[in-house]
Amino acid sequence: MIPAEAHGTIALRASACTSCMICVRECPTWCIELDSHTEQVSDPGARRPKTVNVLDAFRIDFGLCMYCGICVDLCPFDALAWSPEHDHAATTAAGLVQGITELQTAWPPTGPPTDN
Amino acid sequence: MTLHSLPALERRYRVTGHPELRVAILDVGLACCALEVGAAITAGMLVPEVSSDTGGDGCVVSVLLISGTVTDALAPGVIRAWGALEDPKLAVSFGACANTGGPYWDAPTVTKGIDQLIPISVYIPGCPPRPEALVAGLVRLARPAVLTHSDQSGESR
Repeated sequence: MIPAEAHGTIALRASACTSCMICVRECPTWCIELDSHTEQVSDPGARRPKTVNVLDAFRIDFGLCMYCGICVDLCPFDALAWSPEHDHAATTAAGLVQGITELQTAWPPTGPPTDN
Repeated sequence: MTLHSLPALERRYRVTGHPELRVAILDVGLACCALEVGAAITAGMLVPEVSSDTGGDGCVVSVLLISGTVTDALAPGVIRAWGALEDPKLAVSFGACANTGGPYWDAPTVTKGIDQLIPISVYIPGCPPRPEALVAGLVRLARPAVLTHSDQSGESR
């Protein structure tokens, strides 16, 4: 019997994503799209501000996705996880593309914790 | 491969948990996705109708289920199968290959989405999609907006 959580959909925790692009580069079908910019963050007492990536957009085209899970396995920050949800049919091909909001909604309750 | 006799292979199903839905599925199983349709039947999610089963008021919608990789060699057969189905009919694209070409997005001999050839009402993502996803997609077919879309596209075909 296939476990209920297997091969459902892939969910994103945007707060854990560092825009490192590993998932984007390793995806066999190139179905992940990521936009980010850098910001300067000054910590009190630090010698200089540090530069951090800020995630602007993260899209998975589930029309192309092979559900191989390479992105989930390779993410160094557990920002991607398998979700048991499977009702993601769409009435247009473009409707299969999911952004940050939809991907976060699918975050599984049994997955890695959502707080950092 | 001849596809002339395919409409005879159309089978009527009831969808477990959705008594309002009666579908006659012509499964164009072109690759591994086709196994998931069998899995849905084996798991009892799709129940084949017996010939004596005439209950239910809802009309039976003919569903062309394209599950698998549509190569250029098989594309004309898919178009013929769609033309042979009687109205009211809807086409469902099942799995990444039928949706966009999937893992074969770069192959010269694979159709990049069956919607280039026939009007698709519901796209089910997955590689392959789970049987539960098939049922969820069929339930989505029952939505009136989808049926309206089918009427419009039916006129032009």
